[in-house]
Amino acid sequence: MQTVRLAPALLGAALLAAPAARAERLFVSNEKDNTVTVLDGQTLAVTATVKVGDRPRGIVASPDGGSVYICTSDSDHVEMLDTKTLTVTRILSSGPDPELMTLSPDGQTLYVANENDNMVSVVDVKAGRVMTEIPVGVEPEGMGVSPDGRVLVNTSETTSMAHFIDTGTQQSIANVLVGSRPRVARFTADGKQVWVSAEVGGTVSVIDTASHTVVHTVSFAIPGVPAESIQPVGIAITPDAKTAFVALGPANRIAAVDAKTYEVRKYLLVGQRVWNLAFSLDGKRLYTTNGVSNDLSVIDVDGLRVVKSVPVGQLPWGVAVVP
Amino acid sequence: MLQTKLRPLPPAAYARCMAGIIRREGLRWVHQRGRFVSALVRPLVWLAIFAAGFRFVLGVSIIPPYETYIPYEVYIAPGLIAMIELFNGMQSSLSMVYDREMGSMKTLMVSPFPRWFLLLSKLLAGVAVAVVQSYIFLGIAWFWEIEPPAIGYLAVLPALILSGLMLGALGLVMSSFIRQLENFAGVMNFVIFPMFFASSALYPLWRVKESSLFLWWVCQLNPFTSATELIRFALYGRVDWMSAAVVIGCTVVFMAAAVAGYDPGRGLMARKAGAE
Amino acid sequence: MHEPAAALEIDGLTHRFGARRALDAVGFRIRPGEFTVLLGQNGAGKTTLFALITRLYHAHQGGIAVFGQPFRDAPSAALARMGVVFQQPTLDLDLTVQQNLQYHAALHGIAGHTAAPRIRDELARVNLGERAGDRVRLLSGGQRRRVELARALLHEPSLLLLDEPTAGLDMESRGFLLNHVRRLCRERGLAVLWATHLIDEAGEDAHVVVLHKGRVLATGPVPAVVAQAGGAQTLKDAFEHLTHAAN
Repeated sequence: MQTVRLAPALLGAALLAAPAARAERLFVSNEKDNTVTVLDGQTLAVTATVKVGDRPRGIVASPDGGSVYICTSDSDHVEMLDTKTLTVTRILSSGPDPELMTLSPDGQTLYVANENDNMVSVVDVKAGRVMTEIPVGVEPEGMGVSPDGRVLVNTSETTSMAHFIDTGTQQSIANVLVGSRPRVARFTADGKQVWVSAEVGGTVSVIDTASHTVVHTVSFAIPGVPAESIQPVGIAITPDAKTAFVALGPANRIAAVDAKTYEVRKYLLVGQRVWNLAFSLDGKRLYTTNGVSNDLSVIDVDGLRVVKSVPVGQLPWGVAVVP
Repeated sequence: MLQTKLRPLPPAAYARCMAGIIRREGLRWVHQRGRFVSALVRPLVWLAIFAAGFRFVLGVSIIPPYETYIPYEVYIAPGLIAMIELFNGMQSSLSMVYDREMGSMKTLMVSPFPRWFLLLSKLLAGVAVAVVQSYIFLGIAWFWEIEPPAIGYLAVLPALILSGLMLGALGLVMSSFIRQLENFAGVMNFVIFPMFFASSALYPLWRVKESSLFLWWVCQLNPFTSATELIRFALYGRVDWMSAAVVIGCTVVFMAAAVAGYDPGRGLMARKAGAE
Repeated sequence: MHEPAAALEIDGLTHRFGARRALDAVGFRIRPGEFTVLLGQNGAGKTTLFALITRLYHAHQGGIAVFGQPFRDAPSAALARMGVVFQQPTLDLDLTVQQNLQYHAALHGIAGHTAAPRIRDELARVNLGERAGDRVRLLSGGQRRRVELARALLHEPSLLLLDEPTAGLDMESRGFLLNHVRRLCRERGLAVLWATHLIDEAGEDAHVVVLHKGRVLATGPVPAVVAQAGGAQTLKDAFEHLTHAAN
């Protein structure tokens, strides 16, 4: 890229701050070509493409960043990818057809949603085995765990519910009705709220964790985009709980929602059928996986601008960020 | 005190002449408030309406110099800026024809400065106006979320000047063979709309290629496409050398044609069967 | 050194518009300080002649020399010494008188600070000093003509060309203009070519060039031309006689 060079004094204020050295790597699961694309966080260049099991979807990083867990749905297990050697070192059993999972904050337990048999499998990471299975609603998908690790939220697509489960007793605490076909559940960093996206309903329900009630339903409207195209899926909330980003699927946009007023601040245009999203380690960037256009978009969180889009594998599902 | 000796015109005098011509064009522009408003309203209306209607034209590709997906308004912005310059060039042309009919052209023509210099000054006056209009448009377009990087606002200036020169020179050529004001509208329609629509202003060329190879060639050869692309890349701090070359080349050709058209030996004045 | 050159010398000038011959071997001379009337009916070729002298058209055949310099060699220098008032009004109606004059000054490379006092003086001389800030559109026909005259003198030319300057003006304005220009002739030694079809504008002390259908029928001081047309007493008779004979 040829840039016009001008005296820094002139433009220093106006120019965006030069990006801090971003020493991190992005791991993108590509649902269609059974690979994981590894990108360098600073240059956004593809550094490796790793072959994994069949139909990799849910992707989650271990707390130390040494490994990445991938739900290889059609292989019916979870694969653990060593981020240094870039090889699959372990296979963990997960129950059939694992789509989405969430890792407890201590990194010891994986909660996996088994879509077809209406169960959540609790997997001990060290042992690599399913310890227990928790029966939940029909078609479980969204998995969210509270920051203190004590509460698990699982959404069931068909019954449009968010189930609150105590991780200790593994008993159901509460069931909250949300929008139609809920997909993703996300706790805020202080654990006070859970945001649940409803794909068909076109809304995001904000649930208060203490009272287990829906305090607000965020809806979306984009001029020129038909309402049916707006399908909220992935959610990512800034650690300071000020802004929540929601991926809107075939609407090809990310909604930046003010987490206090619940108003949509801006819609950011990304690639086609944006599914999931994850923050960079410093929280200044947001990475989104765009399923149909097969690329990853990078958003500047403070400026609320889409900076770049880079091609990855086929049908990218989700992204995990490791140092 | 009377001049009876031959005295060559000093460079300072040239500068004064050019400044005087630019000033007069500026004064006329300011006086004609309708022109000022329509020059801005027109691209803004197109921005609002075209962007709303043609949203899905863009398609999947990421088009350079953009590095990610862009809303349609961002895509058509350079084309609309080039349109401002095209209309400005045509407006200057119209003024020249009007001046010729109303007689004020004669004031210009009896100046002792060389004719090519007078025409060049007129051209620069038009470009100055076009550049100001373009920046005002960019300022207002900011509210439509057309936000090029800060560098772009400066880097686009040379692109605006070059494109303005080319399209202004085209206007000059046209004014040299349009004899009457009434004929102007017809010629304008044959120039402005084909130039604008058969270009990359409203749709990326790969889209045009998909539907018609012939049309794609027309768009490629259209100098307006080069002007648009030059502006597009400049707004993002990059230089599209190919487009720059085409724009400069066309400017030279058009300017030469204009000077030839205004030459007293063969030009417009001679062919008009004089008042006597 | 050689004797002072004629301010304007036309020699064998011929010009065609397609098949029609607008000027046929036209030749005459104007000296500094002389008030010369180019007398001809409408269609005689006066405007064509002016267009050639002011380089609006190229002269293909024949020569034009301004102060001894052939036009072809140095058209720029020649134009710098000429002031022109065209038949067609050439002012910018929407600009003020001041702005119009400033524009003209710039077109002759005159700096603003040099032009300002001249603009003041010339406007004062045509009694329009206090109208400098008015839009030309607001002035009457006679006033506009005076502005054009003032403008033509801004760059201190030695040769002044006027094509039907009194066309459409009332008697008072006509008289004012005529007297003013004749005075300029006398006081500044300006060479003036005044084209008109109004015979009475050529006074007894003027020179006259009689132009008819593109040809010069007679040239010289008025009494000489009258004498030339045998039997004529007035210029009017002489004109009629000459043009009749030419037809």
